[in-house]
Amino acid sequence: MFSNAKLNEKIAFALLKVAMAMVIAFVVIILYDIISNGYGILSIEFITSAPRKGMTQGGIFPAIVGTTYLIMGSMIVALPLGILAAIYLTEYAQPGKTTWMIEMAINNLAGTPSVVFGLFGLAIFVKYFGFGDSILSASLTLALLILPIIIRASQEALLTVPKEYREASLALGVTKWETIRKVVLPAAIPGVVTGAILGVGRVAGETAPILLTGAAYFYPRLPSTIFSQFMALPYHLYVLATAGTNISQTRPIQYGTALILLLLVLFVNVIAVTIRSHYRKKLKR
Amino acid sequence: MPETYENGTEIEVKNLNLWYGDNHALHDISIDIPKNSVTAFIGPSGCGKSTFLRCLNRMNDLIPSCRIEGHVNVSGEDIYSRETDVVDLRKKVGMVFQKPNPFPMSIFDNISYGPKIHGMSKKEMPSIVENALKSGALWEEIADRLDASALDLSGGQQQRLCIARTLAVKPEVILFDEPCSALDPISTSKIEDLILELKKDYTIVIVTHNMQQAARISDYTAFFLLGDLIEFGKTNQIFENPQKKETEDYITGRFG
Repeated sequence: MFSNAKLNEKIAFALLKVAMAMVIAFVVIILYDIISNGYGILSIEFITSAPRKGMTQGGIFPAIVGTTYLIMGSMIVALPLGILAAIYLTEYAQPGKTTWMIEMAINNLAGTPSVVFGLFGLAIFVKYFGFGDSILSASLTLALLILPIIIRASQEALLTVPKEYREASLALGVTKWETIRKVVLPAAIPGVVTGAILGVGRVAGETAPILLTGAAYFYPRLPSTIFSQFMALPYHLYVLATAGTNISQTRPIQYGTALILLLLVLFVNVIAVTIRSHYRKKLKR
Repeated sequence: MPETYENGTEIEVKNLNLWYGDNHALHDISIDIPKNSVTAFIGPSGCGKSTFLRCLNRMNDLIPSCRIEGHVNVSGEDIYSRETDVVDLRKKVGMVFQKPNPFPMSIFDNISYGPKIHGMSKKEMPSIVENALKSGALWEEIADRLDASALDLSGGQQQRLCIARTLAVKPEVILFDEPCSALDPISTSKIEDLILELKKDYTIVIVTHNMQQAARISDYTAFFLLGDLIEFGKTNQIFENPQKKETEDYITGRFG
């Protein structure tokens, strides 16, 4: 019996290790493929100039700028909205039918295919509100797409704030809202930032929603207002890899674009992780 | 039950009943708590003493299933009337909890948190913080590191910080909910000395598991059992000459 249990444990551990190794292997292979094929084209010119000659030459600067704007635009909308919704749901909403329906709606929103968000954005922001094919329409659409992620992460974060902090504040004659603002929310920031990190990854990588709401096939200028069309890294990659007659000729540019996309997400996440660890340090003894 | 007190009455409770859902947790409690004295609530676990303490600053409001009937007057005002502002009440009736619960902020910010929100000016803050820490018997130990995180203090220091934080809001009453149960004996005796010092200016109510503690620091003692207030009187009378059999059984250690 005893040795049997031991054997089972060994098998279980071996399986876990294999699973882990496979995950790491896939990540390494993908990264290796992108870096080794994309590294060669990286240059100052590549990241600071616009595409030329049917996108077979030049850089990807407009796409970098476009994706950066999308990240900023969607975060400016989704973070406050998501955090406030999470505060309402965890701190104020009474358990009941309405709350249950809201929770269900958020779950369904999280499971909705991104192209559906794209169609929604096309119908509402582009057409109904008349924002047109623009950074604004695309940012709003992406904001809706990541709203469930931000709400869920913020809810989790708020729930882990110890009850003792709230009690201490309320017992000092501080209102509930001030307590949330001054004590609960600061203590929840690391979790909220985690949600934001996941959101940034989604926003930077999504193609279908922006394709329908404002990303341009070729727009070698920088967007001048929030109502301008724009280029974005994932869509640029898609275009280079599938459309046109020079697919094999632009292969290095495709890999370079993928690499820059990864680096951009990495860069934003490093900023976020720095913020997070700053707050975590404050919260730990 | 003593009718008149040397310093007057601070809190009057009449026929207070409390339910958690269907569970009738406190039965018809009536008690007068004297001003500028230390009143201790003792009794076995689950007797309702902490629940009753939390009725005095309406912390039970936070529990949705909790229902309260009866009257609680704090310095003459019915705190369960419709006009009562809970926020003002809690300014007047401060609370120190079982587990030290400083905010994850600096020592200075912990103390200035309440006064700042209640509208005191920034200029006054250093002196408010200094006075509160002095009254909380913590100033000498930490005067040179007010910017350090409150979480770096020892448990006993944290608890005195929490007391100082309460003092900074200038309450009239301070409720202590087993303030020493998480502390070592040396920290405990520091807190006890502090409570004796504070009763000159504040009305103190303390829930304690520790009968020696009640005997050491309180002027009056109330004994609770299964949601009833069994006996209330001067502390030396309760411990030396209890009138009820349940009280005697408890303090002589027959149960609890």
